[in-house]
Amino acid sequence: MSEILLTISDVSKQFSHIEALKSVNLTLNRGEIVGLVGGNGAGKTTLLRLMCGLYHPTDGQVLFHGDSGPSPVAEMRRFLGVVPESTGLYYRLTAWENIRYHSRLHGISDEECWKNTLEIARDLDFVDSLGRPTRGFSKGMRQKAALIRALAHKPEILLLDEPTSGLDVTSARMVRALVKQMGQAGGTVIYSTHKLAEAEQVCDRIIIIHNGEVRADGSPGELLELTQTTSLEDAYVKLTLDAARETEKDDDEGKIARLWRRMMTPRKLPEGGEEDE
Amino acid sequence: MSRIRQIRAIAFKELIDYIRDWRTLLAIVLVPLLLFPILFVALPLLLQAEYVERQEFDLQVVIQTNDDVESLKPFLFDTDMELNWEVVPEGLANLSDSALEDERIGSGQAHSVLRLQKNIENGTIWNYAIIYDSTDERSNEAKRRLLEAVFSWEGEQVNTTLVQAGLDPESTLDPVRWDGDSQVADVATTGQQAGFALSLFIPLIVATWTATAAMQPAIDMTAGERERGTLEALLCAPITRMELLVGKWIAVATIAAVGVLIQVIGLFLAIAMIAGGSSVLGMPSIGAAALILMFASILLFAVMIVAFQLALAVRSHSVKEAGTVLGPIILLIIIPALFAQLINLEGIEYWWFIIPVVNILIALRELLTDTVVVEHVLLWAGSSLLYALLAAWYASKQFNREDLVESIN
Repeated sequence: MSEILLTISDVSKQFSHIEALKSVNLTLNRGEIVGLVGGNGAGKTTLLRLMCGLYHPTDGQVLFHGDSGPSPVAEMRRFLGVVPESTGLYYRLTAWENIRYHSRLHGISDEECWKNTLEIARDLDFVDSLGRPTRGFSKGMRQKAALIRALAHKPEILLLDEPTSGLDVTSARMVRALVKQMGQAGGTVIYSTHKLAEAEQVCDRIIIIHNGEVRADGSPGELLELTQTTSLEDAYVKLTLDAARETEKDDDEGKIARLWRRMMTPRKLPEGGEEDE
Repeated sequence: MSRIRQIRAIAFKELIDYIRDWRTLLAIVLVPLLLFPILFVALPLLLQAEYVERQEFDLQVVIQTNDDVESLKPFLFDTDMELNWEVVPEGLANLSDSALEDERIGSGQAHSVLRLQKNIENGTIWNYAIIYDSTDERSNEAKRRLLEAVFSWEGEQVNTTLVQAGLDPESTLDPVRWDGDSQVADVATTGQQAGFALSLFIPLIVATWTATAAMQPAIDMTAGERERGTLEALLCAPITRMELLVGKWIAVATIAAVGVLIQVIGLFLAIAMIAGGSSVLGMPSIGAAALILMFASILLFAVMIVAFQLALAVRSHSVKEAGTVLGPIILLIIIPALFAQLINLEGIEYWWFIIPVVNILIALRELLTDTVVVEHVLLWAGSSLLYALLAAWYASKQFNREDLVESIN
């Protein structure tokens, strides 16, 4: 029987007037590579941030199942490794200093961190770049450094937000190979992407999110069966037929700031254009 | 255990990250270190050089008089200017009437005109006026030299008149004199005098430099992180927002403290350079209690300012936005800081010691003169502690905002 690592029970997330997620129920098992697939603004990043404990659910709960039983995920972040879409590297620090900083925050000794770092860096052909400041890194190098940083403390779950976004073909393939390798070694990965083909290549299980709802959850074969289609692309289209919502979010802007911005922004477009708002 | 290690890791990383920018050294070390030596040493040297330059001006002046001024001539010859003698023009309303000399002075043909004539009603009195252009350096210098000559001549005239009247000029003009050295008569010790003199500088430096030195790192470590997209990864680490705030606070406060310390060192260096062992500009004598209270007051002030700046900066999505918010806040420190320098400490009302910013500055002024008034200490310490706690609470509230993970990138 599969071991449950994370449960998302009836979770909703509301941002001012936008319901970013609606009653999401999911279970994540150890050793799974799960793809979160959806278009822009579907709710993938919101779901990932809820899984990291960065957002608190408006309703429901996200629980991590550790040795001491289920606990809110915000208290169990030491078991998570996260690579946000922006990678989040400090450009004045070297790659190694970036990795070491996060490992220190996870309570890992520098010696252990270095041992783990070397192991992963060899797989990614990154050892020579560890001592270099990340300022001049290409997108692919930044992604590799962020991956090592997320794995150096040996997390139970790795959460990746668009890990191959902006990467060249070779670097993207290397990242996918590493994720697969992790899966084969019993690691658990949540892989958020808007590329269906990539999810099909890497993941055992695909969750399709659209307009804040989970539209389907299963293996590629199960999705085809569910939608009675012959390709995952057709299945995705069938599951997300309704128009994607508008997700512009400006609730953190103060009332005066919003009023002033609107006053100072021309509403008319040049001739031939349509009126804004 | 690991909580302290994590806070230390955050503070250490922030300091390393900040120090690696060479412009930081310029802003935090070089500028405060050189500010006072430049103001105290280079500025007087510049003024001296300019004075010498002015003395070397070739100047032409016109002396207009209808009377015998033989006794004035030696003083005028000493001014080292080219003198042109004329009679006083007719039709002037009075000697200061400049209408006829506009063109000549404006074109530089003459730099000043001295008019001198005996008073019609009283022949022992001379009337004079100097026509000059206040916006022209040469004209101003010519006027200065003419005035010097006129005053010297006036002194001689007074002496001559007194002697002719059978009076001793010295005892007539200076009948009451200070006996001995006036500085020796001061009961304040040299250390007290130094403390009093420094109380006019130090509080202002501490207040303004704490605020200005903390601003840039506070923005870089909060809004800068949001803008660069590094905050999301950091918030995914197993640390509480409070630990993050404390770690960043330590880093910003350290940078601000180093900045203030270096500036104070710069001030003492400047004083040492210009004073050359002067009793007034030396090391203040401050008792242990006053010294401890001084550090406590600066610490409370720093807690409040740095926490407040971090809170405001972390609300901003970008460095530019944070700069726009925090820039004017500096004025909220500088204006009360300037006012606090002018308040009389003698018989000061208690309520001054509970006004934010002002209370710490007045406390520092008082403590620098080695004065410890228990009621005052209780008031500024209590109110500052309250303000520091309020600022820390506000900062922790801002650091707990859910939208911190969102970046404009």
